Amino acid sequence: MGRIRILSDQVANQIAAGEVVERPASVVKELLENALDAGANRIRVDVEAGGRKLIRIEDDGCGMLRDDALLAFERHATSKIRSSDDLLSLATLGFRGEALPSIASVARVHLTTRSAEEPVGMELEIAGGKILRTADVAMPPGATFVIRDLFFNTPARRKFLKSEQTELSHIAALVTHYALAHPEKHFELHSTANALLQAPPVQKISERVYQVFGSEVLEQLVPIAAETSFAHAGIPEPPPWKREPDWQPQAPGALRLHGFVSRPEMQKLNRNSIYFFVNRRLIRDRLMQHAITEAYRNILPPTSFPVVLLFLEMPPEEVDVNVHPAKTEVRFRQQSFIHDFVRDSVRNVMVKARPAASFLTALTSNPVMTPALVPDVSPMPGPPEKDGMPPEARWRDSDVIPTRADAEYFSPAASVPPPQQEQAMSFVAQPIEAEDAANAASALDADATNADTENASGATLHSLDSLRALGQLRDSFILAVNAEGLWIVDQHVAHERVLFEKILRERQVEQVQRQRLLMPVLIDLKPEQMPLFAAIAEELERNGFEAEPFGPRTLAVKAAPVGLEGRELERMVQEVLEQTEREEQAANLETLRARIAASIACHAAIKINTPLEATKMEWLLAELAKTEHPTSCPHGRPIALRYSLKDIQRAFQRI
Amino acid sequence: MVESTEMEISVNRQQLLRELTATQGVVERKTTIPILSNFLLEAQDGRLTITATDLDQSIRTSCEAKVKKAGACTVPARKLYDYIKLLPEGEINIKLMENHWVQIRMGRSNTKMVGMARANFPQVPQFPEASAIRLSSASLRAMINKTIFAIANEESRYTLNGALLTLKDGGMILVATDGHRLAHIEKTGETLNVSGEKKVLIPRKALSELQSLLSASDAEFLDFADDEQTLYFRIGGCLLTSRKLTGQFPNYEAVLPRDNNKFVIVRTEELMGCIQRVAQFADERSGAIKMRFEQNELKISSSSTDAGESEDTIETPYSNDPLVVGFNSVYMVDFLKAVSHASEVRLEFKDAQSAGQMRPEDTSDDFKYRYILMPMRI
Repeated sequence: MGRIRILSDQVANQIAAGEVVERPASVVKELLENALDAGANRIRVDVEAGGRKLIRIEDDGCGMLRDDALLAFERHATSKIRSSDDLLSLATLGFRGEALPSIASVARVHLTTRSAEEPVGMELEIAGGKILRTADVAMPPGATFVIRDLFFNTPARRKFLKSEQTELSHIAALVTHYALAHPEKHFELHSTANALLQAPPVQKISERVYQVFGSEVLEQLVPIAAETSFAHAGIPEPPPWKREPDWQPQAPGALRLHGFVSRPEMQKLNRNSIYFFVNRRLIRDRLMQHAITEAYRNILPPTSFPVVLLFLEMPPEEVDVNVHPAKTEVRFRQQSFIHDFVRDSVRNVMVKARPAASFLTALTSNPVMTPALVPDVSPMPGPPEKDGMPPEARWRDSDVIPTRADAEYFSPAASVPPPQQEQAMSFVAQPIEAEDAANAASALDADATNADTENASGATLHSLDSLRALGQLRDSFILAVNAEGLWIVDQHVAHERVLFEKILRERQVEQVQRQRLLMPVLIDLKPEQMPLFAAIAEELERNGFEAEPFGPRTLAVKAAPVGLEGRELERMVQEVLEQTEREEQAANLETLRARIAASIACHAAIKINTPLEATKMEWLLAELAKTEHPTSCPHGRPIALRYSLKDIQRAFQRI
Repeated sequence: MVESTEMEISVNRQQLLRELTATQGVVERKTTIPILSNFLLEAQDGRLTITATDLDQSIRTSCEAKVKKAGACTVPARKLYDYIKLLPEGEINIKLMENHWVQIRMGRSNTKMVGMARANFPQVPQFPEASAIRLSSASLRAMINKTIFAIANEESRYTLNGALLTLKDGGMILVATDGHRLAHIEKTGETLNVSGEKKVLIPRKALSELQSLLSASDAEFLDFADDEQTLYFRIGGCLLTSRKLTGQFPNYEAVLPRDNNKFVIVRTEELMGCIQRVAQFADERSGAIKMRFEQNELKISSSSTDAGESEDTIETPYSNDPLVVGFNSVYMVDFLKAVSHASEVRLEFKDAQSAGQMRPEDTSDDFKYRYILMPMRI
């Protein structure tokens, strides 16, 4: 008898489950996506013991027909695609047909569902992949999955589960993501007796952000909305001799971006607060993270990360989600185009919004102190986890929202705008109609304008040019006032920002002014720094340095950019060389350029502990107002902080 | 020294104020060591001696006084100065009280100031009479005025943070540079009591103190001396000491241009006017202006993306090859201010990369002044 055997379906499913069902959160993800694909407007998730004991997901979607319900637990059974062509234009979150059988093979599943077309619903019980029982049941349309004892038959997997708290926080994070992506739907997450998330449907994403993260976070975010056509991307077309006779040039779809990005003073220590949704699917994509990092380069310190909630929408055929079973990775057809679009949009909005840091926020926004933007899931007493968060970051709205939720509890669909409902229900791929696109775009605009007006009352740096300098604090910080309140400006970083942008501008047009030195400045290098110098010599030269090797370990600088003198010049060259040394792979030219400019600016800028005359202060504030990013210095420190008049009045109990 | 427990003097207000004014520059403003913001007053043999120090420098001056009881005390410098300024003319009585309090009385005004123990006041070096060299006050003053602006402002490169004074029989030379420009002045026809050559590096702060002491004094000569750590300048009854700068002054002789064969001669005032006008439109940070030498013309221009552009033309004989060279207008103005007494200046160049040399055209006096300036590439 041969040694090779075909595995039974049961075993095959368990193997597939290894990929799809990694932990309780994976089950929640699969079932949530099914619910959303089914057009549910109201989704309630209950978990017990971090989802190990019980996961219950109740939706009011379209439900399943009797026969479909049975078929759904077969491998590769799905309603979402029919042929492999459909894979090219997926509009649903799921499509692989693996989730249900995988889950059913490693847990006890109890399903009740009714399609609106059928008079009665059905009840189905499966354990370890075997159907135990079916029965009729009375229920409203929709589906309810109850998953008990996950991994009851795979002890190895069960051992790898983390603590209840960790698993629960994964689930909470996941539900939060989907709640953010679908503000028009009602989401609830309960753990045993606690309501972790109750988000009734709202019109705008900003409201959903408020529901999920609270007002303090929302105040720190700047809305963003941008759109471009794929026509700019130069979609490759087949050459004429290969075209089918009925070939039509494809209509270039639109690429839309909306969401929120954080002000520079909101800094996180890891990337966990960067949420990226492509066609409402949460992804973790290196390309997109890179785009965000680029956009915040020279605004945030290199080890800090912003809070970003971005929704990217594009025609389904532009993106391939069929990369990994968990579907958190995607491939874009126009990678660099999308990357640049995201980067530039975020940059632009930072330039336009000129967010100003409130003094008190800056005090508390030390990245060391703040956790990732993930709702805490431990309202019960007990020590927080190691990577846990301070109590003030805990679920803020749990005590506020329920009353609202109760009011709307029994009228779930009433406030949902119909068009979006249609869109969500569309199971088969359809290109986004021009009309739809226009609607959506105007909706976006409206969203953005609303958000703008909301923000107008908030702090921006647009009013920097109206500042009147009062004097200096310790010869280091400029105190200034305008109608909005009292401002404190760090003179060094302010000047640094002014110089940085000026240097980059001059470098762009190759108009760097350099001062020749009477006597060359000799700089001693380490032997290994000499080749590094050779590597960046050309860029240094174009930035105004004339330097050449002077013996094996010495550099003779004969000309330097204006403003860099003596010891500062020496330090600056050393600094750039050291940074180049640390960088392992060769940096691209733009990064190098920015780094050199930042270094020159830092060393040429007014130092702290330098008394400034009133005219000099006025000049600095005026120059700062003209810069593109008056928010933070090229190394990411904040420049200007504000005590708003309101805060001052409140503190003195005048209002 | 024995702690003096008493002191009582009477001094003329005008004389006292003059000496206090002279010492103000040395008093430590930031009171890291409280005693340094005090004056030391010492009364003996019909004189009141006032000493101030910030540890790097000290100044010691004296005036006549009626000493009723000899002794010493310390008084907060700034407060004393401000108070004396407000008193009317007349005789001031100063008396040491208990607990280092100092009473200051004049007519019906009666003030007691909180002093500190005299023992806390640091020792101030004494003038070494043996090595004294007598210098002309007027010459040194003129030399300081023409070089001090070229000393590097930056604190960290200290060898450039002072001027180099060279003394030899027959003359003295003062050189200052900040790495971009160099001011060099030589005075000949002086008889100095030095054997060979004596070179000392004078810190900027001491130089500017010296400058103001010299302009306030009418003494014809000053005595200069130095030992291992300290420089001494004695002008009339006033002694200024300064800690020496250590380190090597750059070898400036190597950078003095020798073959600058293209030159123009222009009127100082006219050039100054042109540069000041044109510099309004220069880049704010660099102050860069272009000087274009053409057939019998010197064109000075500037442009900046923010402000606009500007050009002035000076007619002057020039027949060499055309030359365009950029300079920091601030450096040019510094020079022109220093030579405002001369009606014409001579600008000498080699090319757009090499140092330019500028000097006053009338060479009637014994001063040989030149100003070396490195160009900018614009």
